[in-house]
Amino acid sequence: MVYLIAAGQCGCITRVREQKPELWRQVRRYNKPVQLALAAADEVMRFANDPSTAAVISLAPCRPGSADLYRWGNVVTSGMASGTLGNLRMNPTQTLHAVDNLAMSAFAITHRNHAYCLGLGGAAGQAWCGLEAVCERLSAGFEEEALLMAGDQDAAEDEAPGLGVALLFSTRAQPFQPSGRIVRLVSVSRSPAIVDAVPHAANGLAALLSSIAQHRNGLLSYVVPPAHTDGFSAVTVSLEIS
Amino acid sequence: MSHKRRVVITGMGALSALGATTRELWDGLLANRSGVRRVQRLVDSGITVTTGGEVDAISTENPERDHEIANRAIDDALGESKRDAAACGFIWSTGLDTFQMGPDGFVHRSAGRCFSNLASRFAGPRRMIAAACASGTQAIGEAFRLIQSGQVEACVAGGSSVMLTPFYLIGFAGLQAVAIDNGDDPSLACRPFDKKRKGFALADGAGAMVLETLESAQERGATVFAEVIGFGVSQDAFDLNRPCDDGAGAELCMRRALADAELMPEEIDTVNAHATATYSGDLAEAAALRKLFATRWRSVPVSGSKGAIGHAMAAAGVLEAVVAAQTCATGIVPPTVNLRHVDVGCELDHVIGEPRDVNAETVLSVSFGMGGQNAAVILKRGLNG
Repeated sequence: MVYLIAAGQCGCITRVREQKPELWRQVRRYNKPVQLALAAADEVMRFANDPSTAAVISLAPCRPGSADLYRWGNVVTSGMASGTLGNLRMNPTQTLHAVDNLAMSAFAITHRNHAYCLGLGGAAGQAWCGLEAVCERLSAGFEEEALLMAGDQDAAEDEAPGLGVALLFSTRAQPFQPSGRIVRLVSVSRSPAIVDAVPHAANGLAALLSSIAQHRNGLLSYVVPPAHTDGFSAVTVSLEIS
Repeated sequence: MSHKRRVVITGMGALSALGATTRELWDGLLANRSGVRRVQRLVDSGITVTTGGEVDAISTENPERDHEIANRAIDDALGESKRDAAACGFIWSTGLDTFQMGPDGFVHRSAGRCFSNLASRFAGPRRMIAAACASGTQAIGEAFRLIQSGQVEACVAGGSSVMLTPFYLIGFAGLQAVAIDNGDDPSLACRPFDKKRKGFALADGAGAMVLETLESAQERGATVFAEVIGFGVSQDAFDLNRPCDDGAGAELCMRRALADAELMPEEIDTVNAHATATYSGDLAEAAALRKLFATRWRSVPVSGSKGAIGHAMAAAGVLEAVVAAQTCATGIVPPTVNLRHVDVGCELDHVIGEPRDVNAETVLSVSFGMGGQNAAVILKRGLNG
């Protein structure tokens, strides 16, 4: 059995800076999608039995890097076109922003987590692959807990809206935080469907959480909106809420 | 208890600095030859890093180069296996975004967009792996796990990378991870485990494998190159830019792969090492292997491929697994190209100068990613071997 035991979201990194100085100290040098993902993960890991042994499944942002990095990219591409790259030196911090698994690495360091990890890339609909991976790992008994986290922005600009989402799963039934109900993840099923997907690492999971919050007790068959899929398959997430 | 299916490799494709086929890759390694060279377009750009592992088969002025490099390797693997993409899952890494030359200037494509384009002809599952330099190895391992557990009958697994551009070279130079051109023979740029190592040579490349159940391979009469028998991953949880000195994270993923394969360290015949030629990376890897093999470390042949083909990032692990599969099939361990004088702290049973025929049947192939993700797979000689 696989249970969703906690979920957290973060859409405002300013609030983290003002209200959680310790967390801000850990995440301040990262780009916004990574900061948002780690802030959301921080919300849920206090409910984990052992953060150091949970499987970590992390979705890379679909717009990787930071606004700084994109500005740097423009400098380089201009320099490439004009043949004037010789004197350019890159700030190593910006190189760090290009790492595709940065949130996962940073999380592991904070929580001393050496467990199974899966970084899923910034393609549309990978959130559901992450959810499938959670089912596979916990159902097979590889781990007792698994974290699924994501952070992304609507555009690679400093002020562009962003969202971080984290979901904590366990093999043991525990009241789901924040609602206190028991939420069992029954299955993730797919069927072929060609649709227009909109790549975003976090929005699909946030919509799932919203649906759970609004659902009365009983079986919830959540049909993932086409925009949140990978563009090749229709996805249904089945949950039992009591 | 669920029944675990046996998983075999029935097709492979490889584009690297040594050529556009698995045969050219293998022959180049056996000849102790490096495909790394000075790249004129990098020289023309005026940056300090001018050597790399260029893939010549696809023009650098082709704005679809990222797709074509990947699809060539995928098609070669599918063709060799005689399998249809529409009946396979797709577990792949496209690394980082690409900046390619097009007729109207540079074309920036996100890695996610590239993945989605490649994945469109495959059945599910379609998983994009993002574990930095460990991505290719983890892609093989994840495909192995999906097939082993009965969720899918066959997968194409691997990775592709088109990063040999100033954008990334300037960045890696900032991290002091790549070999700066100082006028030496460019083919010597990457020297794994050597006293004179100074970092890796960035490379383009793609590697693909068709993995399927043994049962399906036998029913189809497919050639089996090797069997995948174990997979392990771990996180260093140490630092974003360097491994822990004792290689603890690397050792952990290797031990997990061994446990998964139900093997003891003494049952490993040879290791295909990550061997990036970075100062701290090679030391940590050597330390991890010595701990893993304990008193036997002086007699387990170790070989790395990056001296010959450079570091193809998302493709690196699968290109090395292709080499590991060839070792399983032939028993021969290729030399670590450019390794001449083993550095203090890097001592292992290195294969130097020429290939060694040790009738190797079981190969441990490892990759360690920047950020601390580690992955290992164990391959064993297939039924046709």
